[in-house]
Order: sequence, then C-alpha cells, then structure tokens
Amino acid sequence: MTASNIVELYGVTKAFGALTVLHDIDLNIVEGEILTLLGPSGCGKTTLMRIIAGFEPTTHGRVIIKGADVSNLPPDRRPVNMVFQRYALFPHLDVFDNVAFGLRLKKWPKDRIREVVRNMLQLVQLGDYGNRWIHELSGGQAQRVALARALVNSPSVLLLDEPLAALDLKIRHHMLAELKRIHQETGTTFIYVTHDQDEATILSDRIVLMNGGRIEQIGTPEEMYAHPRSLFCARFLGETNILDGAVRACESEVTYVDLGTGTVKVPTNGTALAVGQKVSLAIRPEALQVCRRAQPAATEGDANALEGTVEDVVFMGSRVLYSIRTPVETLKYQATRSVDGVMLAQGEEVRACWRPEAAVLLTH
Amino acid sequence: MLRIYVWLYVAFLYAPIAIITLFSFHSSPSLTFPFEGFSLRWYARIFTNTTFMDSLWNSILVGTATAATTTVLGSLTALGLARLKGRVQTLFGLLSFGPVALPGLFLGIALVMLFSQIGLARSLFTVTIAHVLFTLPFFLEAVRSRIEYFDLSLEEAARDLGATPAQAFRLVTLPIIGPTIGGAAILSFALSFDEFIITVFVSGNNTTLPLTIWSMMRRAVSPDINAASVLSLSLSIGIILLGGLLVWYQRRSALNARAKDIQE
Repeated sequence: MTASNIVELYGVTKAFGALTVLHDIDLNIVEGEILTLLGPSGCGKTTLMRIIAGFEPTTHGRVIIKGADVSNLPPDRRPVNMVFQRYALFPHLDVFDNVAFGLRLKKWPKDRIREVVRNMLQLVQLGDYGNRWIHELSGGQAQRVALARALVNSPSVLLLDEPLAALDLKIRHHMLAELKRIHQETGTTFIYVTHDQDEATILSDRIVLMNGGRIEQIGTPEEMYAHPRSLFCARFLGETNILDGAVRACESEVTYVDLGTGTVKVPTNGTALAVGQKVSLAIRPEALQVCRRAQPAATEGDANALEGTVEDVVFMGSRVLYSIRTPVETLKYQATRSVDGVMLAQGEEVRACWRPEAAVLLTH
Repeated sequence: MLRIYVWLYVAFLYAPIAIITLFSFHSSPSLTFPFEGFSLRWYARIFTNTTFMDSLWNSILVGTATAATTTVLGSLTALGLARLKGRVQTLFGLLSFGPVALPGLFLGIALVMLFSQIGLARSLFTVTIAHVLFTLPFFLEAVRSRIEYFDLSLEEAARDLGATPAQAFRLVTLPIIGPTIGGAAILSFALSFDEFIITVFVSGNNTTLPLTIWSMMRRAVSPDINAASVLSLSLSIGIILLGGLLVWYQRRSALNARAKDIQE
C-alpha cells in the first residue's frame, strides 16, 4: 500500500446474472484529490461507486479503504459517506436532524453534536436553516443539506453520485464552485460520478473515463483533452475533428497518414504501425489554423493542410465557430475573435492547416 | 340547482343516522313521530343488558386482535411487495388485493368447511382468523401506494450514515410509513367491528356486536336497538378520531422536541 492512496481497488468485477457490468477494475484514489468517474450511462460508474460505498458486493476483487480490506463490510461500517443523486434526505426530520443523524448514531454527546452540526451548516451556507423542513428547501439548498449530512461524519472519502443532475444549469455552475470551495476547506477526498464532461473537467484533479464496464483512460483533465488515447476518449471529452486514413509509412518520430486526398504527418504514438493500417487523427477545433487560400500559409513549411470552403459561421462573442467543408470531412474550427474584427465569411475559399504535433494518432 | 342537490345528497346520507340518534333519546317507546321528549332510559337498559355488553366486549377483543395481526402480516407483505419488480410485483399486488371482490357469503362457507375439516371449534378465535382474512386486502390496499413509493435510497442513506438494518428501519422507514400503517390498522379494526356476514358463519356461542343487534331485531323492534346502534356508531367514530389524534400528537411532540433542541 502506498501511503497516499486512500482507496485501492484490485480486480473489481461485478456481474448481475449473466451481465457483467464491471470488468477487472484496478484503481487507486489519492488522499485529498477530487477523482471523477466519467462516462456515458451504463458504463458502470455508478455501480463502481456503490461498490466502494458498500451497497453492492463485488463478484470478484477487493476494496481497500485506508489500508483495510472492507470488501465484506456493510455500508454502515465503512468510513465513507455518500451524497445521493436525489439527495435522499429524510422527509420526517428537519434540516438539523438530517445533518445530526450520523453523529447521533455514533452516540456523540448532545452539545457536541449541536456545535458540530451548526458549524457544518455554516460551511454549506445554511446557518439559519436548521429548523426548516426538507420539503421547504429549494433544489440547491437540499443539495447543501445532503452534503452537510455526509461531511459532518468526517468521512475518509466523500462519494457524490451525479449530485448536480437534478439542478438547473445556473445553480449547477454555482454549486460546482461551492463543491470546490468545500473540498478545499475540508480537504476530504471526493469521488464524483457524472456523465457530464464539463463538470468533470471543471472539478477534477483526475478523471477516470469509463466505457462498457472498463476504464478507458485515467489522467488530469488537461492530459485527457490533449492526449486522448482512444477514439472514445477523444470524442467524449470536448469537441474534436476525427480524420480517417491509412498508414503510408511509420518512422520512429513521424507517421505519414494518407487521408485519400493527400498525405499528412503526425507524431508516432509509441507503437510501430504496419503500412496500410486504418488509423484516425484527432484534431481539436482550436488547434487548426485557417487562412484565406489567396494568402500565403502563416505556418512553417512542414504543416499539414486541407483546402476547403467556409460552410457556416457562428459568432459566440469571444469565440467564433466555423464549419469548413473539405474533401475529407467537415472540420470544426474555433477561433478567438480578433481585435481588428477580421472574420471569415460564409463561402470563402480557405486552407486549414495544423502542425503535426497538434494532431493525435489513434488506432482503431 | 346543483347546490340544492348537494344539500339533498347530504341529507339523504345522514338522515338515517340523525333519526336513529334522535329516537335513541326518546322518552317513550314509540318509534314514530311526534317526538315526546328526551330520556336516557334506553341507554341505561342497554348498559345493564349483559348479552349486549358481552358482545360489545367480544367485538372490541376481536377487533383489536384482528387489527394487530393484520398490521403485522400486512406491513410485512407490503414491504416485501415494494422490493419486487415489474410484472411479478403487479401479479402479487393483484393476488393480494383480489379477495376484496370475494362475496362474504363465499368466504364464510369456505371457512366453516375448513374449520370443520381441521376440527377447529367455532369461537372468537375462528372469528378473528376470518376477520384477518377479510381485512388483509383492505389493509394492503390502504398502505400499498405509500409503501410502493417509499424511496429505498432513504434506507441506503441511513445505512451509509452508520445505521444497522434494524436502526434504518426504526429511525427512517417506520416513522415515514408509520402514520399510514396506523391509519390502516384503525381501518382494519373498524372493518372487523362492523363485519356481519362472515361472522354469522364462523362464530360460536360468543357473538360479536352486529350479530347481537341483529338477533335483538329479530325478537322485537325495541328502542333498545336505537341506543345500541348509536353506541356502536360512536365507538367506530371514536376509534377513528383517536387514531387521528394519535398521529397529530406524535407530529406535534416531535416538532416541539426539535424546536427545543435548536433553541438550547
């Protein structure tokens, strides 16, 4: 066990009857981090969280929390607490009693409970709401109570199951900032489940991208965005252009890919590829450089280029989104608005260029 | 027009009750108008009538035993039903509610045959068994919707916060579904207290109140019956009010305790 790992999963497998929803998951969660389990619905992220909480037994594999094997312990004997998707606040208790629930079970003295619960309500900015009934709260307030009810027990790990899914967009962004603040103030490890890539990138120290019951990729949001290791990852996180082609030549540094209309260069992704193998290039919309075809190319000589026509222009204030039709694919191109106000117009003949290292080579 | 209709409707519903109540206080044995003055003599007679008092006591006994048994069996069934899924749940839901449609006559005959087959003598015990059978479907129907929509993640939340399964049930599940179950228990008592047809078949020498009133009627229509009916009606209403009061009081005391806890 590494000292800084607060949760360790070894070969966690979960099957419901004939259906296997988690395949042999190995994962370490570092103390104090916000780790997001990200993926489309049905990818197994919620099941994995419920396994850590103790609501689902594993079919195979071990769950270690703080160095102790808790695989066979019920939820009430694990040092983790959970914020449920629909909060699951107790409707027969008021806010104070909801938050005090865990401490009363631990038989804390009354005055101590009162003090700690008050401080916790203060932390989530609900200091005056102790005697409110649950049905009197707004969605955002209920969310805060759910957070306070879990955090007041000083869990080793706080589990959050799509906690913002039931809130509307405006409150959601506010709550994300709140979650970050609360994380900083408490220093608790957060495991956060979501299908929303924006929430994941804004909040996380590390993202675990899941697909079909397996871990697709683990990394910081920036790593995941800049260096997706699979088509799935490239598509799931942010906007991206995918160009399909075949390997023409593979050198140690550079791979040449035939897109059908011409050959482009891309950094080799580690493995040697056979000539003729089908591959894809992923290029982020903001990594393209687009200029009018009449003008000379602004980039260095070895830049890749595709010629095309501006098909659509969407002005979004600080950014402008273009669709550029090329013989290969319609490219998404994102530009920051230039101060001199020069914008490409619909129908203009352009050249889309990118430096080889701006693209990521992905095998199928 | 419609307003007048509503008044007539209410009058139609409550006139018999009003008339019986009025004549139970009549000073003369006459059961027809004109009304000649008030007296409690019929009540005095009823209270000294041992047949009546015994059967009243029997009814209370059977009703209580029925309500208790039905509540335990019914609550467990409803909690079990909530954990079933999809078509199985629909099927078992229908099966458990089905007997409501059974004619009392049929249930009465079937039970008499069963009791004689297994050699069980007819007594208040057999009456209680029959009443449990009769009230269970009503109990289930009364609690089902509440228990079916009970959010199981509330129990999970309690477990997550350190509660054992028993604590989660006692501290979360029971307080939330408790008032519903209490109401359904009172309904079971009221149904048992009133039950006539099945009881005719399965009762032994000790009879219940409706049967006693019925046999009093057969001998002669006496003013005693008015008093007896009003008494049995008041008892039914009283029980329902008591139930409501209990729920209200429980709510209020919980509220007060909480307010104090926060102010301190």
